[in-house]
This record gives sequence, structure tokens and C-alpha cells, in this order.
Amino acid sequence: MGLPEGGSVIDNLVRTCSRCVMDESDPGIRFDANGLCDYCRNFDDIIKPNWASGDTGARRLTKLAESIKAAGNRRDFDCIIGLSGGLDSSYAAFVAKERMGLRPLLFHVDAGWNTDQAVGNIEKLVDGLGLDLYTDVVDWEAVKRMQVAFLRAGIPDQDLVQDAAFFSGLYKFARKYKIKHVITGSNFSTECCREPEEWGGYLGIDKALFGDIWSKCGDGKPNNDFPLVDILVYKLWYQKVLGIKVHHPLNLVYYVKKDAEDELESRFGWQRFQHKHHESRFTRFFEDYWLPRRFGYHKRRAHFSSLIMTGQMTRDQALDRISRPEMDEHFLKQEFEYVAHKLGLTVDELKALFDMPKKTFRDYKNKRDLIGMGANMMRILGLEKRYFR
Amino acid sequence: MLRPRIIPCLLVHKGGLVKTQQFKDPKYVGDPINAVRIFNEKEADELMVLDIDATVNKMSPDFALIAKLAAECRMPLCYGGGVTTAEQAARIVDMGVEKVAVSAAAVANPSLLTEMAAAVGRQSVVAVLDVRKHSGLFTAGYELCTHNGKLVHKLDPVAFTKQLQDAGAGEIVINSIDRDGLMQGYDLELATQFKQALKVPLTFLGGAGSLDHMSDLVSNLGVVGAAAGSLFVFKGKYRAVLINYPTPERKIKLCREALNH
Amino acid sequence: MICIVDYGVGNIQAFLNLFKRLGVEARRVDNAEALSDKDRLVLPGVGHVDHAMQRLNDSGMRPKLEELVMGAKVPVVGICVGMQMLAQGSDEGVLPGLNWVPGRVRAFATQPKSADLPMPHMGWNNLQPRAHSKLFSKGFEDAPQFYFLHSYFFDAEDKQDVAATANYGLDFDAVVSRGHIHGIQCHPEKSHHWGEQLLKNFVEL
Repeated sequence: MGLPEGGSVIDNLVRTCSRCVMDESDPGIRFDANGLCDYCRNFDDIIKPNWASGDTGARRLTKLAESIKAAGNRRDFDCIIGLSGGLDSSYAAFVAKERMGLRPLLFHVDAGWNTDQAVGNIEKLVDGLGLDLYTDVVDWEAVKRMQVAFLRAGIPDQDLVQDAAFFSGLYKFARKYKIKHVITGSNFSTECCREPEEWGGYLGIDKALFGDIWSKCGDGKPNNDFPLVDILVYKLWYQKVLGIKVHHPLNLVYYVKKDAEDELESRFGWQRFQHKHHESRFTRFFEDYWLPRRFGYHKRRAHFSSLIMTGQMTRDQALDRISRPEMDEHFLKQEFEYVAHKLGLTVDELKALFDMPKKTFRDYKNKRDLIGMGANMMRILGLEKRYFR
Repeated sequence: MLRPRIIPCLLVHKGGLVKTQQFKDPKYVGDPINAVRIFNEKEADELMVLDIDATVNKMSPDFALIAKLAAECRMPLCYGGGVTTAEQAARIVDMGVEKVAVSAAAVANPSLLTEMAAAVGRQSVVAVLDVRKHSGLFTAGYELCTHNGKLVHKLDPVAFTKQLQDAGAGEIVINSIDRDGLMQGYDLELATQFKQALKVPLTFLGGAGSLDHMSDLVSNLGVVGAAAGSLFVFKGKYRAVLINYPTPERKIKLCREALNH
Repeated sequence: MICIVDYGVGNIQAFLNLFKRLGVEARRVDNAEALSDKDRLVLPGVGHVDHAMQRLNDSGMRPKLEELVMGAKVPVVGICVGMQMLAQGSDEGVLPGLNWVPGRVRAFATQPKSADLPMPHMGWNNLQPRAHSKLFSKGFEDAPQFYFLHSYFFDAEDKQDVAATANYGLDFDAVVSRGHIHGIQCHPEKSHHWGEQLLKNFVEL
């Protein structure tokens, strides 16, 4: 059995940014007179000038730590950190405990796709940092049914299912236990170049979209065990009314991917992943096989571009990595079967979904415009620096 | 030389993994296939998967689930739950499962073990006994239960187990209901009684809260199977679900030190 | 190509899974016509040896197998009871074995050194490979451990045929290699990376 092919092959006729490696496979990309893409311009004009590093960052970090400690004074823990076992959240946990002196509760959502490496990393951090762990195990049947519905919907945004589970699990917990401070591993250093929306980087958890996909592509029965906190409800209610604050300390410290990996490895025996998001077996499959071969979208372009912009990788190194998949053909073939069987599909059924006509979120009911307005408002107010079109 | 076996024991309830305390309050732990896969990566010695619904609901074994588990599992697998005939046992072994466990059906009819041994070989026949301390004030000792602790049988557990051994069981698993899920150590007194009486490989389940508990079991009893549910599935004071298992180095060290004790 | 002899006994699926992980083409064969001298053979087996021998005899594949193994010298590996079938006979039963490797299968229970040990021999044990053994020539720098599950063991007549021993009370012949004919008592298909390495070596011999 060969793997189904599809999508476009990287070719020289597609225009690429002169500095990073974002290219015209992002349909909305624009280039300036110097051949710089709009992501690079956004980095130069907005992110970099406002990036508090060095002493400024250190001062802000201390201030933040103090306010969190004060708020959580009489409780078992003063904040929670969503931990996936990947680099960003792992380093955020390390910073929170050791640099900021906080007493975080480590919060992990198990949506059924954990790699052994992710689980092992979580264990090493729990033991090494001496912190408590809480796990929210999402009902696997609910995740499976929703994921199959999304595949049947034919859209590129396949990781929304896991994202919804993680995001909703974390914030529901924060709300239930009245936790005011949430720390995440979001950072400019490895994420300043945002994954374009067309590549399945949808703007947030949209209950309208989930609802419509479920009614059109689900199995006809209710899926009430699937956790969903709508992004607008989250931003308005949870943040504004309940006062849950979300912090990104990795933007206030020196955060360079390789150095961070080395530090975690030497301190805790933490194991680095081959690539971003490889802590989830589904995401690894989705980003290394499904998205590139079915749609021609290579998320690694965005990931590497972030590293190029922040001086952690050269353009040539990035182009070289992109010229091959992360995982070899034999491995990908086994993963295709694994994913099919885990979702209760035959390999042929998954192949049929791979070959079906491509759709986008616009083929379903959605609040994209409303969410977009909200994101742009935040940008105008200076509350969001990454670039959304 | 042969070393003790360190065995994760997973309970299946309504198709998902759960963990109980004293056989009550099942807590959802996740997808069985993902757990099997993680134990593969960790090179676990063996895996025991018990379906706790089948017998009480009078259902036959979940063959679809068994096929998936067997296809995924790279270490010896023992499956139990709802097995009442030798034909079912043979079918399960043919799917790629090394051992088939029976409990209630063997207690009701020990000659089932003889039939199973004839069909699949003694080495693939496992009898699981759920044992609890007598609840009466004046009666000492242990009683034998089935159906998730709901039925009590008027039998001396040790003597009866010898009968099951003679009938054809190639391995006996003693499961302490009292210690289940409490993570406070194995019932060594109980374990010793069985070890002295039986000639087949033995495995003990119920109570392991740390690798030290397993060490204690082995240093007291020698080469046995040390099985655990909670220990390999939970972490920390909030009982956060996180699959874990000792590294090969840690495991060998534990076995060696405990046996030399 | 690897051909797993499916005569109705043994964990065929586990072998198919293992070879798939190794990226080696393997198939199951349950009739004589489909057997070919271009394949390497795997002979699995579990349960009572007489039951296995009877099923093999009834499968109709035995004459072709004899021709391929003894005539065309096709490489073959018998695993667990499949190894025991390679002998002249077994103390466990009455049917004669294939007699492809001279030797007799005996019960641990009849040997003074192992008679008092729990039966069956169940669990992880070390293999001591012999220096000259080709099956262990690659990838066994760390002491190999394998999963065993049996009450009877192979006693090779010609000790030159012994490729590895293991100890359960006594040292017994755990792996034999007589030219192109091999036997493995333990379960390589369930022994993690050691098992994979051993079968990989068989494929690459």
C-alpha cells in the first residue's frame, strides 16, 4: 500500500520571502519592494520594537511574579500552567517555578494522542520541579467522534479538535476553581510568524463552526462530552467578567529554542522533540503528512520563519529542512494506519477522506468575522502583536 | 536468571480505561489503545487488561477491543473479562493474546480450566481471584469474591486456589479488594499464604503505591509477578492521570536488589 | 519475503505486526501450493505439542515443507512450540516431531535442578548466546532478555547446534541453529527490541 499523494510539491516557481521562508502557498501573502513578506514587516515594525527583553523584561517579570504571588497567597497554588510536554509549556513551567518563584499547578489535558515522550517529559518536570499535576482526561469517544466529523468536513483546520479540548479543559478548570492567573508557553521567539489561517490556523474555538460541522458531518447523535468553551465567551466572560488573566512569561526572558532544550535536558533529563508540536501524535501526523500532502500547506515554513526572524536559524538551513519531510516514508505509512485505526476507520476510509474535495471553514457556519473584529480591536489597542489579516 | 515481572494492570469499563478504589468509584483514565502504546514504548514486562463489565452484565468478551489491543501490544498480553468457555479462550489466543484470565467462571466451575488448558495449553490459562478480609468481628482470614466484589463464596481461598491450580491454571493472580487503589502497599500476609501453598507462577495485585512496595513484595516472596493499576496510571496527590513505568535500568536494579535482600 | 506458516496454531498476527514494523514483507500461508522456495519460513506454535503436530500434519503443508527445508534448504525458524516440533519427539506427548534438528524435548519437571521451580517457566530471562552464533552476530551488545512461557525444553543431541542457552534451574538450549534450520524457545515477537533484533538477524542471514 502506498501513501496517497496530493497537494503541491515545493517548486521553484512559487515566490518566497527574501528573508524568511514563507511563500505563496499562503494565499494572502504580500511582498514589499525588497521582497520582504508582510510577516517580516510585522516583526520589524511591531513585534521587535515592543519586545521587552533584557532588563526591561526582567523587571516586568518580577512585577508579574509579585502580583501573582499576592493574589494566590492563601491557596495551595497561585497559578496554573497548561502543560503539553512540548518545549514552550515545559520551559514556561520552569520559568514560573525557578525564575518567578511561583507555586504553579501543572495542568495537562489528555486528549488521547500523547506520545510517550510527552508523557515522560511531564513526569520529569513534575518530579524535577517538585510541582503538583492535575490531568483532565477528555472522553476519548467524544474526541474521536469529533475528529472524524472534522475529517469528513474536508477542511484544513484539523487540529481545532485537540486545541478545543486543551483550551476548553484548561479554562473550565480555571473557572471552576476560581483561579485568576493562567500561564502559557506562547512566545514570540518561536511563534512570531503566525501560521496563516488558510493553513488551518483558525482564529480560535468557534462554537458555531463546531456545531455546524457536527450537524453536517457528525454521526447523528449528540456529542455532549466534548468540551467547548467558545473563544468569544472566553474573551468576554472569562477574561473580562471573571477576571482570568493569561500571561506569557517566555516573552520576558531570554528564550532561544536550542538553549532552552539544553537547559531542560541537563536539569531534568527532558527529551527534545524532532520538531514543534511533535508531542501529540495526531498533530505530528497532521503537520507532517495530511496538511502538506492534501493541501500543500507546510506549517514548518511558519515555524522556521519565526526562528529566522529571531536569529535562531538561517534561511538556508530552513530551506534545507523543508526540502524533506520530518518523518520518513515507512514511518508515515505506519502512522497513517495508526491514525485510521485509532479513529475507528479503515485505511481505505481514511484514504477516501484524504482524496475528498477540499473545503474551508467558509463552507460552514462560523463567527470568523466577529472573531476577526475582536482580534483586530485587540491589535489596535496594542493588546495583540502577532499579525492577523 | 528469571526475574520478577512488573505488570501494569488496566481495567476496562464501557470501552474506556478506568481505575477503582476498593473496587468502587471508577474514574475515567483514557483510551486503552493509547495506554498500550505508551507501555510498548516503555518496554513493560507484560500487560494485563481486565474488562470489569462483562461478567456482571453477563456479556461475552469484547472481541473487537481484544483484536485492537492484540494488534497494538508488543509485550505479552493477558486478557480477562466475560470468558466462560474454552472456545472463547481459543478464539482470544488466536487473535494474538498470550494468556486468558478467568475468575467468576472458574470459581463456579473449576473444570473450565481443564478444558481451557486442553484447548490453548496450561501456560495460557490464568485464574484471577478477588480476595477480601472477612468483614465479621469474630471471623479472621479472607473470603473469596466475584462479580466486582458483590458475590461472596463460602470457600477457603488458599485451598480452593490449589484446586484451580490442579485443574489446569498455569498462573494465579491474587487481587486484594481491600488494598485496591489505596496505594499503601501489597497485603504481604495474604501473599505469603498463597506463595507457600502453590507451585505455579503467582502474581499479586492491589495496593502498590510505589516501586518500594514492589521491592518489598519481591524481597519477601522471591520471583513473582508484581502487578499494579494506580501506580502506573496516576501521579501525585491529585491522582493526575499520567502513564508511567520504571525505565529498564531502574527495573533491573529493583529486581536485583530485592532478590538479594 | 517472509512466510509465516499458518497451520492454525500460534500468534500469526504478532509476527505480521513485527515484520511490518521492521519494514520487511511478510505474509501468512495456509496451503502447500502457496509455499515457495523464495521465502524464508517462520513456524510459530503454542499450546500442547501433540495438538500442534496434529494440526500441522492435517494442514497438508507438511510434505512441501519437508521438501523446501530438507531438500531446497530454505531457511526456517521454529518459535516456541514451533522449535519443539523440530525435535525427534517430546516428553509432553506421543506424536513424533519433524526431526529436522536431532534432539528431544524434555520436561523441566523431570530434571532435578528445575523440578521444584514454579511451572511454567514464565517471564523475562537472559539468553547466553554462543560466540559463533550468526543469529546473535549483530545488535546484541547489551545482555539480551527475552520472554519465556513454557514447561518443556529442547535438548539438542549435537551441542554444536546450540546457538544460545538460558537458565531455569538448569542451563537449557534456548536457541538452536543447524545450518539453515533455527529454533527459538522464547517469544521474540513479544520481547521488544531484543526480539525485533533477533528476527531481523534471521531475515538478513
